Amino acid sequence: MTTVIFPSASNAPMAGGEALIEIRNLRVEYGAGDHRIVAIPDLSLTIRRGESYGLVGESGCGKTTAAMAIMGYLGRNGFATRGSIQFEGEDLLLATPARLARIRGKRIAMVYQEPSASLNPTMTIGRQLAEVPELHDGLSRAAATQRVLDVLADVRMPDPEQVVRRFPHQLSGGQQQRVVIAMALLAHPALLLLDEPTTGLDVTVEAAVLDLIGLLREKYETSLLYISHNLGLIATTCDRVGIMYSGEMVEEAPVIDLFRKPTHPYTRGLLDCIPDLASDKRTRTLSSIPGQFPLPHERPSGCVFGPRCGDFVPGRCDQHPVPLEPATQSHLVRCLRWSEIEPKPAVRVSTYVEPEAMAPILDIDRLSKSYELGGMSWSRNSVSTVKANEDLSFSVRQGEILAVVGESGCGKSTFAKVLTGLETATSGGIFFANQDIARRAVHQRSQEVKRAIQMIFQNPDSTLNPSHAVDFSIRRSITKSGVRKGAAAIAGRVAELFDLVRLPRQFQKRRPDQLSGGQKQRIAIARAFASEPRLIIADEPVSALDVSVQAAVITLLLDLQARDKTTMIFISHDLALVRHVADRVVVMYLGRVMEQGRVEEIFSPPYHPYTEALLSAIPIPDPTKGRGRRVRLTGDIPSPVNPPAGCRFTGRCPRKLGEICDSVPPPEHKVSSTHTIACHLPLDQLVEVTSVIAAE
Amino acid sequence: MSSESVIDAPATEIRASRRRFRRWGILRSTTATVGLAIILIWVVLAVLAPVISPYPPNEQDYLAMADPTPSWGHWLGTDNLGRDILSRLLWGARTVLTVAPLSVTVAMIVGITMGLLAGYCGPIVDAVISRISDIVLSFPIIVLYVILIANLGPSILNIIVATTVASAPGIGRIVRGLVLELRTQEYVAAAKLRGESALYIMLVELLPNCRGPLIVDAALRIGYTTITIGLLGFIGLGLPPPNPDWGGMAKDATAMISVWPHMAMFPCLAIVSLVLGFNLLADGLKDLADR
Repeated sequence: MTTVIFPSASNAPMAGGEALIEIRNLRVEYGAGDHRIVAIPDLSLTIRRGESYGLVGESGCGKTTAAMAIMGYLGRNGFATRGSIQFEGEDLLLATPARLARIRGKRIAMVYQEPSASLNPTMTIGRQLAEVPELHDGLSRAAATQRVLDVLADVRMPDPEQVVRRFPHQLSGGQQQRVVIAMALLAHPALLLLDEPTTGLDVTVEAAVLDLIGLLREKYETSLLYISHNLGLIATTCDRVGIMYSGEMVEEAPVIDLFRKPTHPYTRGLLDCIPDLASDKRTRTLSSIPGQFPLPHERPSGCVFGPRCGDFVPGRCDQHPVPLEPATQSHLVRCLRWSEIEPKPAVRVSTYVEPEAMAPILDIDRLSKSYELGGMSWSRNSVSTVKANEDLSFSVRQGEILAVVGESGCGKSTFAKVLTGLETATSGGIFFANQDIARRAVHQRSQEVKRAIQMIFQNPDSTLNPSHAVDFSIRRSITKSGVRKGAAAIAGRVAELFDLVRLPRQFQKRRPDQLSGGQKQRIAIARAFASEPRLIIADEPVSALDVSVQAAVITLLLDLQARDKTTMIFISHDLALVRHVADRVVVMYLGRVMEQGRVEEIFSPPYHPYTEALLSAIPIPDPTKGRGRRVRLTGDIPSPVNPPAGCRFTGRCPRKLGEICDSVPPPEHKVSSTHTIACHLPLDQLVEVTSVIAAE
Repeated sequence: MSSESVIDAPATEIRASRRRFRRWGILRSTTATVGLAIILIWVVLAVLAPVISPYPPNEQDYLAMADPTPSWGHWLGTDNLGRDILSRLLWGARTVLTVAPLSVTVAMIVGITMGLLAGYCGPIVDAVISRISDIVLSFPIIVLYVILIANLGPSILNIIVATTVASAPGIGRIVRGLVLELRTQEYVAAAKLRGESALYIMLVELLPNCRGPLIVDAALRIGYTTITIGLLGFIGLGLPPPNPDWGGMAKDATAMISVWPHMAMFPCLAIVSLVLGFNLLADGLKDLADR
């Protein structure tokens, strides 16, 4: 290890405010003996009092390890082997376990990604929250309970007196996360670590939690370390941002500088990967970062980003470890060539070819799917019905991409199952190839229909059978559908599909566990296209992938779709992605269609009040633009069991008219021949609404 | 589209080396290696029994009957009828090492079938198979063996039938539990969408992913079955005499146990060592799978 001390964040001049925590030259290793893996080679960062610091990076870049090192939670096989973590005048790495435990609850608190795992399922909310002040401040039970009620009110928990008596499983995900945040705040910590605190939450709930964190930060004067892979969230919540790549800080700057003048090629790459609301597939192709993240034990010499960098100079970038240099006073970058590289404008050229207007190939007519719950019970009264899909009506034209958008529980995945025949409809019709397939399960459908409808699934870890080589299901799909006959023709088609999804042919005989998430998803795409289908249903195909991989997979999917003029139903909760991908959009809430129309009609007024809230909740990865008009929903998505008789959205609607919304199903306003909104508000009122997306 | 390459040979090679159950991966667990060694020693001895056993298993040495304790002529001594205990143990190993794996194989086939059907073919099939399993499992196993063998008569075939009836429901439960979880995987949905039959999905998509827990269970069960066979021999329901049978040898020696304890001790040690071998193997395999 070289003994050169690189200029670190802590050497940078402070723009006011004393340092609260100062990490200097921290090195974290896992394992022992020959199996040592250096997770973080040398990390320095400083968070000032009252500051919100964002740590960004893709999975495996060491951002969570950094937080765990601060908490002293590296586990039995993790060691901080060098450096120091100065917090309020003492080094946390040298503190005794008892001292650490004291600091952790009282001065530093952490909110984890999975709220349900942070709460004890056997204790009531009130009891586990009250433990914090009882333990750390020695409060009496009554005083502790009063404090808990105050903090629960602070985190905007509706009806705190009721909530303290409940158990964690009786709360929704959003409420659980509020409880966890309340628990972290109870001890008035000086530093709050947030590790992807909204990743499991729906967009509208996420927006509300983020607003809350902002408010509480002011009230409690807490510094934040906000860890996320989502640049949009960081842009809206943080003062300063550090970008991590493969265990190293590659760029650190105040949030405005970082987004206005990204200096490291990796940061630029990341920003170019993100779909934005101002462009779509017709005006821009998402760029992606080629190659893959290096594993800790195969970090290249010299610049860690070198092998994936477009501005890499052999003999220069791969020689010595690259120091973190100040680009401006407060802007640090770890790149030898930062001053030479001209910022290339993001590629705004699109390869997309507009499909000519085609005839509808799929007609959905008043489709409903309901499940009965409690059917095994003795009492008839206990049967309740979940109306997962109700009265869906729309059609899909050949060669277009229809996006189905909505939060969890809106019925978008149920719709996919009914369409593919994994479930059958309760009523209504799905007309495809001149037949009604709504009531036919997949094994009752004709060979031709089965061949013509294929699906791309969400989870790269479960989409391929771990017992078979990756080409197995592709081969099987070709054989079963009969699109090629004979061993040679089938082998040729498999090779061709591997070329199409840009995977080397040698990968055919690999096992799924030898591929990365993005590569597995490419195989899943190849499998879906193998039978030359006419309709592909893609259910959140990239939601489990890192941003840089996501862009590449989406571009690939769009290429294939346009090339074969395949019709696609794209199911997603990510509106920025939908803006990029879709031709037409259907917005669903609790099993019903709220609004449908062409993509540009959905993303500009008039809006359905729900669409308005969804669009307003999208975190924009650009702090210079400021927010558009802010619409926030209260409460969480209600359960689809026994939904309201009137409009499904009535309980959370900020524009609710009155009793009519609860009792009468809303009429459909035809805004244009392609755009309909189901709402009681008169159309002329909806038209007056201004855009919620900040102007360019 | 950028002309990107998604190859990264080193990363994937490393991941490849982490795969569980590699061909000689078993040697990475000391426990499993020791277990396997014990079993292999017994297998070699059983295979070579006709060559290495000093006497035919049923030959009586009347001269040794006066003092049946271990001697140069009979390393482990003889039984009360003057038969060489070492030779009888070696020949007895042939029986145990055939019957135990054979009965577990049959039980596995039946149990896996029950588990696949119960887990995959819907709630009605599941209810029927699970209730039948519950009934069988609610009998004390010994009673079940006694009832079956006493009625069918002692023979290798009937021992296999009895152990199958006793083990198949347990195996079925393991498989059912695994299948209930695996059937929700996306690759199963993908198989349905390309029109695969239920039988194909059960055998090709689901069964191979059950193999880890099943291999561990099989090793454990062969150990249990070794005990069962010994036990059946001991209560007189084993192989009919004069076949050398470890449990039967122990039973015949009980009357003399206070005078000549070696007659019972050596067959019992043989059973213990073989069972220990299988249990160590199972433990080691489980560790490897969890690693």
